[in-house]
Amino acid sequence: MNIFTFLFVVSTYFLFLIFSSFTEISLESQILFASFFILLIGIPHGAIDHILFFKKRSFSQLKFYSIYLGLILLFLLLWIFFPFWSLLLFLLISAFHFGESQFSDIKAQKLLRYSLFPFWGIALLSTLMHYNLSEIIEITTFFEDTNDLKIIYNDFLILRFFQITNVCTILLLFLLAVKRHINLDRFFSELFLLLILHITFYLFPFLIAFTMYFVILHSLRVMYQEYQFLKSDSDLFDFIDFIKVLAPYSLLSIFFTALIILLSYWSFIPYSIPLVSIIIISVITLPHAIVMHIFYNE
Amino acid sequence: MLLDIQVMKPDDYVGFTFFIGYMAMFAASVFFFFERGSVSDKWKLSLLVSALITGIAAVHYFYMRDYYLATGDNPTFFRYVDWTLTVPLMCVEFYLLTRAAGATKSLLWKLIIASVWMLVAGYIGEAFNPEGGDTAHSVKWGVISTLGYLYILYTAWFGEVAQLAENSGSATIKKGVRTLAWFVLVGWAIYPIGYMCMPGGWLSSVMSPSDVDLWYNIADAINKIGFGLVVYNIAITESK
Repeated sequence: MNIFTFLFVVSTYFLFLIFSSFTEISLESQILFASFFILLIGIPHGAIDHILFFKKRSFSQLKFYSIYLGLILLFLLLWIFFPFWSLLLFLLISAFHFGESQFSDIKAQKLLRYSLFPFWGIALLSTLMHYNLSEIIEITTFFEDTNDLKIIYNDFLILRFFQITNVCTILLLFLLAVKRHINLDRFFSELFLLLILHITFYLFPFLIAFTMYFVILHSLRVMYQEYQFLKSDSDLFDFIDFIKVLAPYSLLSIFFTALIILLSYWSFIPYSIPLVSIIIISVITLPHAIVMHIFYNE
Repeated sequence: MLLDIQVMKPDDYVGFTFFIGYMAMFAASVFFFFERGSVSDKWKLSLLVSALITGIAAVHYFYMRDYYLATGDNPTFFRYVDWTLTVPLMCVEFYLLTRAAGATKSLLWKLIIASVWMLVAGYIGEAFNPEGGDTAHSVKWGVISTLGYLYILYTAWFGEVAQLAENSGSATIKKGVRTLAWFVLVGWAIYPIGYMCMPGGWLSSVMSPSDVDLWYNIADAINKIGFGLVVYNIAITESK
């Protein structure tokens, strides 16, 4: 168990205590909870991609920003013309990215690593969907423009993905332990984390469960990795310095995210707020996942 | 004495585990006590504490077994007396293992206070729960008790104990402390789950109090004897 798993377990316990005193958590409260924590911690974890990229390499800034923004634009266009495929691509990229950030420290053959990343990530997302499928379908069908996306939430397919990817993840972890790429302590820690994720996804509504994973186990963990990386150059670099680096770009990202959502709220953008939110998250996930992939490989 | 003998049904698994638990704890106690002679002086106290943990539990299991056979009820009182003595002693083991790396008396007292806090709150939550079970009472004392558990868990995994083990310079101590931390995380987790299965608890519809006794007995045997065996392994390895 690492400190993030510990934080996750403690948060799950106390949030369950709080939520169990209510008979039902309204969708509005869930959105408020999710938005607050995703904006506060989720967005900042991807706000300094450019700093991480340029820290130890000389590369044309113009080229970097052109590619970065170009990918965002490309994915945006894909969303406009092929929303179903865009959602599918977004889920696959996210799954790989979540898996990669979870196991970035593991030194093993490429085949093993690149099998574990997507399997773990898809196991995570399919588990979340499996336990909350009716709720996800309800949210998806609530808005007209998200209605077409519900085709992806096929209960038979999700059940199969849930079973296969969970089993394969455990087998891959076992293989890593047998080949001594991870020790027994790490093996059991990962199994324990999977168990805790299953319990959390089962106990909580979809938005709350995803936010808890995304904020504590993903964003905080990645921010810690970023902090360690920036600190590696200078011992004088401390937590306050990290916040100073993070704050302006995070505020900028939060400002633009909020602005786009408001534009949707005021009907300047012809898409509902949930769809706009998914599109924003997915278009920034693509270049972020690529930058982080380069970051982890170095 | 023979006239007082109780009849036990072959499918009474709770009664069965009370017997097994009693004998296993007693045997472990004898083992740890005699094995003190096989380890170097600095580890003798650790093995004595291991023997005391299983010895105290054996005596309580002797009483709990009779109490259960005579009444068929949960021996809550005896259980908590047992835990109030043995759990702080398990915390003492953490101190003894990391003493050479600089563990202070203050760490010892913090762990003892946290464990007593956890058990006293748990006892109030379980024993003073109104007839039929009151969820508010159960949850309130459950949360208070959990704070003590989380403190011990944090200390064993990331706090002072973990750091001292890391700085001990001994791979055996590092590995042993990490194994004990796993006991605290997984083995001790059965107790709050059992607590929640009592009337008024969140999981009261999932498991009956008698089933809880079965799990408590199995968990007690694994945790106490397992804890002792890990300490024994460290002592033997470090004495070579």
